[in-house]
Amino acid sequence: MISMNKVSKHYGSFQVLADCTTQVQKGEVIVVCGPSGSGKSTLIKCVNGLEPFQSGEIIVNGVSVGDPKTNLSKLRSTVGMVFQNFELFPHMRIIDNLAIAQVKVLGRNPEQAREKGFKLLDRVGLRVQAEKYPGQLSGGQQQRVAIARALSMDPICMLFDEPTSALDPEMINEVLDVMTELAQEGMTMMCVTHEMGFARRVAHRVIFMDQGRIVEDDSKEAFFGNPRSERAQQFLAKILHH
Amino acid sequence: MAYNWNWGVFLQPTATGDDSTYLDWMFHGLQMTIGLSLSAWLIALLLGAVVGVLRTVPNRWLSGVATAYVEFFRNIPLLVQLFLWYFVMPELLPENLGNAFKQTNPIVQQFLSSMICLALFTSARVAEQVRSGINSLPPGQKNAGLALGFTLSQTYRHVMLPMAVRLIVPPLTSEFLNIFKNSAVCSTIGLLELAAQGRQLVDYTAQPYESFIAVTVAYLLLNVVVMSGMRWVEAHVRVPGYIGGK
Amino acid sequence: MHEFDWSSIPNALPFLWDGMLISLEITLSAVVFGIVWGTLLALMRLSSITPLSWFAAGYVNLFRAVPLVMVLLWFFLIVPHLLESLFGLPRGTDMRLTSAIAGFALFEAAYYSEIIRAGIQSVPKGQMAAASALGMTYGQAMRLVVLPQAFRNMVPLLLTQGIILFQDTSLVYVSALADFFGAAYKVGDRDGRLVELLLFAGAVYFVLCFAASRVVRHYQNKMKTA
Ligand SMILES: Nc1ncnc2c1ncn2[C@@H]1O[C@H](COP(=O)(O)OP(=O)(O)O)[C@@H](O)[C@H]1O
Ligand SMILES: [Mg+2]
Repeated sequence: MISMNKVSKHYGSFQVLADCTTQVQKGEVIVVCGPSGSGKSTLIKCVNGLEPFQSGEIIVNGVSVGDPKTNLSKLRSTVGMVFQNFELFPHMRIIDNLAIAQVKVLGRNPEQAREKGFKLLDRVGLRVQAEKYPGQLSGGQQQRVAIARALSMDPICMLFDEPTSALDPEMINEVLDVMTELAQEGMTMMCVTHEMGFARRVAHRVIFMDQGRIVEDDSKEAFFGNPRSERAQQFLAKILHH
Repeated sequence: MAYNWNWGVFLQPTATGDDSTYLDWMFHGLQMTIGLSLSAWLIALLLGAVVGVLRTVPNRWLSGVATAYVEFFRNIPLLVQLFLWYFVMPELLPENLGNAFKQTNPIVQQFLSSMICLALFTSARVAEQVRSGINSLPPGQKNAGLALGFTLSQTYRHVMLPMAVRLIVPPLTSEFLNIFKNSAVCSTIGLLELAAQGRQLVDYTAQPYESFIAVTVAYLLLNVVVMSGMRWVEAHVRVPGYIGGK
Repeated sequence: MHEFDWSSIPNALPFLWDGMLISLEITLSAVVFGIVWGTLLALMRLSSITPLSWFAAGYVNLFRAVPLVMVLLWFFLIVPHLLESLFGLPRGTDMRLTSAIAGFALFEAAYYSEIIRAGIQSVPKGQMAAASALGMTYGQAMRLVVLPQAFRNMVPLLLTQGIILFQDTSLVYVSALADFFGAAYKVGDRDGRLVELLLFAGAVYFVLCFAASRVVRHYQNKMKTA
């Protein structure tokens, strides 16, 4: 579904990504972790072309992201993305947040789009909030809406960039529950997160990044059982002691 | 040396014998000021929005051209720009166009030059506000739009501009007020707007203080009207639950 | 199409230079006086003495509501009268430069005072408290602690306002004073070369103001990184 081959990116002389290579199969859930500044966000933004990269190759569902001939908008409409700060559109009602891209990008008719929006809101338990504005919802609710918005495009895979790290602790679980359910339904997911409980529950593989490199790329069992690199061991120790 | 106050002067027929009072003159001036400012404001908003957006696009040529536009209109005094439009532009146009312009009614010439001048001058300032409004949006908004599959221009239209426009209503209020005040500069090419009528009143009536006060009050009223109008707009476009830019 | 003839400019340069000096004189005097008077207005506006703060608010709002060109015109028309009757100056004394400077200074002070007020308010409240805790009076705290910090933050804005003021000096055209723009207009009018002289004047203003605003921006960036 997603395959990266020796992807590198730098700002001037600063190497953000160095020779990153990995694959995500259909239905697989991958958790990406690592210290802050290690390039996790950059890596997953490269997948849908939000960040350009200088060398290497990324193929998503048979389409090369780096190819200048690729229609990036079309590619992105098939890849869902959820951001750390939710990024709902503050001037639109919740239901319009869900409908607008269906109408403007996929060309669905507005009625169908709203109907689909309502269904997805139902699914994340927020149907009653449909006519409110994002600013009137809590962080956890906003993030659930953001997930529903991404799902409204019927994505073939989903990217999450630290979806719970801007949330108050008591709201983290409501978002993780939605993500877990999604994973159990077989959605292909690539999640940057430090929620190791989530990783243990649903991840198939864990990628550990440090200084722009993929240091570990292991099955969940291997990673939690006995990470090979010292950095990953330290990182896990720190996280688990929280 | 006592000054003879005479507020009745406004109701006297003018010395030109054209059947109007000095108060009528003031109203004509006010009308001119309003008509000129509003028409220039509309053009300035449209041009300013386009130029402001261009300043933020990731294309160096387009943003360079937009920057040059803004710098040009910001670094030449308004009066000089006005004279360039009024005296110089007709000379630089192709001959038949220039002549056609010079043969129109002088009031039309004055009005057109003034309107273009104020519109472009103000558009550069509006563009700056639009640009800073766009730049003050959380950077993730643009990514969120793109990630949904919007093209860059769709992202501007549906995601960034609607919020940027709301953010810049307060600074735009001040530009809107400025355009009314700046329109007074057009009295220098003979356009009979409010300030010019005030001056005419002094020449005709020798009651400088009354004219001065009347014109000042008229500008104050314009200010109040514009401010309340913009406050209404601000309240009207306010997004429920939204606080601050980031 | 217009046939350009730039030949009247070289001979007129000394006259234009004199005009530029007048423009600069008006700018500088108005900036200095405007900042001083503007600071006083800002302090009045922020003071707890109600009549003072009302006066300052009224003054600032009044001047910010009316066009500069109108203020200049009225100063040009009224100030000479006023001075003649107050000081018994002989009729026809040339008061144009004085009244222009006075008009600019009083007008710009309203704008400066708003910049300065914002600057004072941007200094954290704790600074005032800390200064008072050290035993300083209100005046000392303002003068020694708050204002210096406020002005450091405001320098770019004050300079930018200075550039705007320099551009606005061209408006003394309404009092037929030969500032740089007035001089250029006069030469152009006399030689029938208005097109060339106006283009020349525009170019000179552009180069000066563009360069000055670059310097301000450079200073601003340096301040940010410092
Ligand atoms: N526009 C940029 N210019 C220069 N460096 C950048 C830019 N954006 C990100 N970086 C750097 O790239 C590195 C990786 O960033 P990021 O992918 O956001 O890390 P993570 O998500 O793992 O915390 C960081 O060190 C960051 O400082
Ligand atoms: Mg990150």
